[in-house]
Amino acid sequence: MSRVLVAMSGGVDSSVAAALLVEAGYDVVGVTMKTFCYSETPDSGKTCCGLDGIVDARRVATALGIPHYVFDVEEDFTRDVIDDFVREYARGRTPNPCVRCNSNTKFRDLLLRGQALGCDQIASGHYVRIEHRAEGSALLRGLDPAKDQSYFLWGLPADMLPRLLFPLGELTKDEVRARARALALATAEKPESQEICFVPTGNYRDLLAKRLPEPHPALQAGAIVRTDGTVVGEHGGFAGFTVGQRRGLGGGFDEPLFVLEVRPETREVVVGTRDELHRERVEVGELNWHGTRPSPGDRVSVQMRYRAPAVAATVGSADDALVLDLLESYPAITPGQSAVVFEGDRVLGGGRIVRAEVGASV
Amino acid sequence: MNPVYLDHAATTPVRPEVQAAMAPFADAIFGNPSSQHRWGREASAALENARAEAAEVLGVKNGEVCFVRGGTEGDNLAVCGAARALAANGRTPRLLVSAVEHHAVLHIAERMAEAGEVELTVFPVRPDGSVDMTGLRSRLGSGPAVISCMWVNNETGIILPVEELAALAQETEAVFHTDAVQAVGKEPVRPGDVEGISLLTISGHKIYGPKGTGLLFVRRGTAVTPLLQGGGQERSLRPGTEDVAGAVGVATALRLAVEEREAEDRRLRALRHTLEKILLSQLDGVVIAGEEARRAPHVANVGFEGVNPSMLLINLDLEGVAASGASACQSGSGKGSHVIEALYGPGVERAHVRFSLGRLSDEAGIRQAAATTVDVVRRLRGEA
Repeated sequence: MSRVLVAMSGGVDSSVAAALLVEAGYDVVGVTMKTFCYSETPDSGKTCCGLDGIVDARRVATALGIPHYVFDVEEDFTRDVIDDFVREYARGRTPNPCVRCNSNTKFRDLLLRGQALGCDQIASGHYVRIEHRAEGSALLRGLDPAKDQSYFLWGLPADMLPRLLFPLGELTKDEVRARARALALATAEKPESQEICFVPTGNYRDLLAKRLPEPHPALQAGAIVRTDGTVVGEHGGFAGFTVGQRRGLGGGFDEPLFVLEVRPETREVVVGTRDELHRERVEVGELNWHGTRPSPGDRVSVQMRYRAPAVAATVGSADDALVLDLLESYPAITPGQSAVVFEGDRVLGGGRIVRAEVGASV
Repeated sequence: MNPVYLDHAATTPVRPEVQAAMAPFADAIFGNPSSQHRWGREASAALENARAEAAEVLGVKNGEVCFVRGGTEGDNLAVCGAARALAANGRTPRLLVSAVEHHAVLHIAERMAEAGEVELTVFPVRPDGSVDMTGLRSRLGSGPAVISCMWVNNETGIILPVEELAALAQETEAVFHTDAVQAVGKEPVRPGDVEGISLLTISGHKIYGPKGTGLLFVRRGTAVTPLLQGGGQERSLRPGTEDVAGAVGVATALRLAVEEREAEDRRLRALRHTLEKILLSQLDGVVIAGEEARRAPHVANVGFEGVNPSMLLINLDLEGVAASGASACQSGSGKGSHVIEALYGPGVERAHVRFSLGRLSDEAGIRQAAATTVDVVRRLRGEA
């Protein structure tokens, strides 16, 4: 039976993914990636050796009768994910570290080490489906719309896809929990993790303050302005703001105001009304395609935020940058976030949002 | 094929004789040794019998055996306790530890230095196991000092010059501690016969005794400040209700390990020779750490060029060979070994694997492990 390496985070999803592979008769090897040293985080009280995720993954693996190992990817993770996260905020953008990790660190490392361990395939507990077809492998949305995680996987290099398995793609979260309970897995009742794994306190500004040279413009006071340049307030550092955000702007406005834009060169945070948030054209860079790249004039759908629906768009150009004209205007398009291009349920690829513009709607 | 356990330096199973000796203390003899009544007296007698048994084996006085709850605790109590007792005289003591110590010594030494409690010197050890005694002497100065150097290195099996260091300590009136966790049962560990040894740590679970047990030899007259405060147990050095079963376990394990030492030494040396010979003859780019040193019989630390250390170990495990890399934290984070770096300098690219032999080892298992290792290394190098 072919040997599969399954990434186990110590959560319920990857625990069940591993269990399903064992049931299916695969020779399963579990691994947990140690992405950063948790003992550096204050008041977490954890050490590298006692890390919850690693410990839980090992408990589950042992119960399933499979070996379990820890891959230390701290160096790569710091360079590819944390440094990028800090750099993006310092540029006034809002990164997706999980996308970055999947695209650059996690799967690449799993494949590389999997090869050395004689594993033909790599599996994870993502809620996505993959179809291995003669003409190539296709990544599809998970069947449970509430859990679908295809948004996070557009960056997987196309040549990796044929070797991936996603056992949870056709299940709902409830079904996964039920399987975990039926198997009495130690992680069956574990709550969903929401926060960014390397920001367990939830306050990413602390991380930026620790990692950016001081003083850094991203963390210094600046003006809150309207689109006409009128100053309406002051903020404590533009790194605390993301497009569409309402919190942290202070009060006393006649109408609710939202962040429209972050301007790192002047340290300005531009605010405006809900209507002013809308854009019709989006430019996407750092592209990755799973199969053929779309051509100008193609109709696609694009998802620009996790848990947001995909919207219809026409491809303007798709060379170095992808330009998409949205059929309907769309609010709070955020530079740095992923724009994932779909054809129906299939992920074609995606990139990072560079900018969004008004007008030019088709 | 049956899996082969070659990680005896990490831990060992509790041998049947030890289990039998401990069994009554789970229920029949459960008293608190500090109690005056019948139950207490029974427990107390068992505890003191265990102490006498250990003392006899080590050639020391009964009152010089302090039961502790493991090697780490013994090392911490010895190093920290001795330095603090010296500091009570008002002068900051020097603390000299070897670069190849277990973290139970190195880390407490570093914390104490950071806290300003000691002036720390970490002295080097050569790949042949020797120490520059002249250099060490010059660093001792004239004030109060503690020297701590392990008897047998846990990662390489290298035997360190404990008797020389003990002599130096005696001459300079320094307190000398040795971590003998890997030495007992392998080397003739008789602190009673080596006057310069003031403190010596033994762990139970490395010698087929229970985990969480150990003892610290404290030579009469050696001042040690306790780490814990509580009742007066173990002459106040280690307060807390005594683990009678554990004390009986470690004392029994110690006696058996010493009784069997010479026969086991011959047996393990032959097995290790077989293992190393196969690896050296069938693979290129193989180095035995400490090959030029005098080594305890149970450790073969083998460095393989051109392979990733963690992939090598995982593959060995998947193929049924249990060995270890650097004595890493339990999650197996895969950080490099401070011992290999101390011996050979930074930037060693080889993958060092510690195969450690013991009672579970036999000729067939050793040959199987050697053959598996050869296969895995060839595969990882792309030679197969």
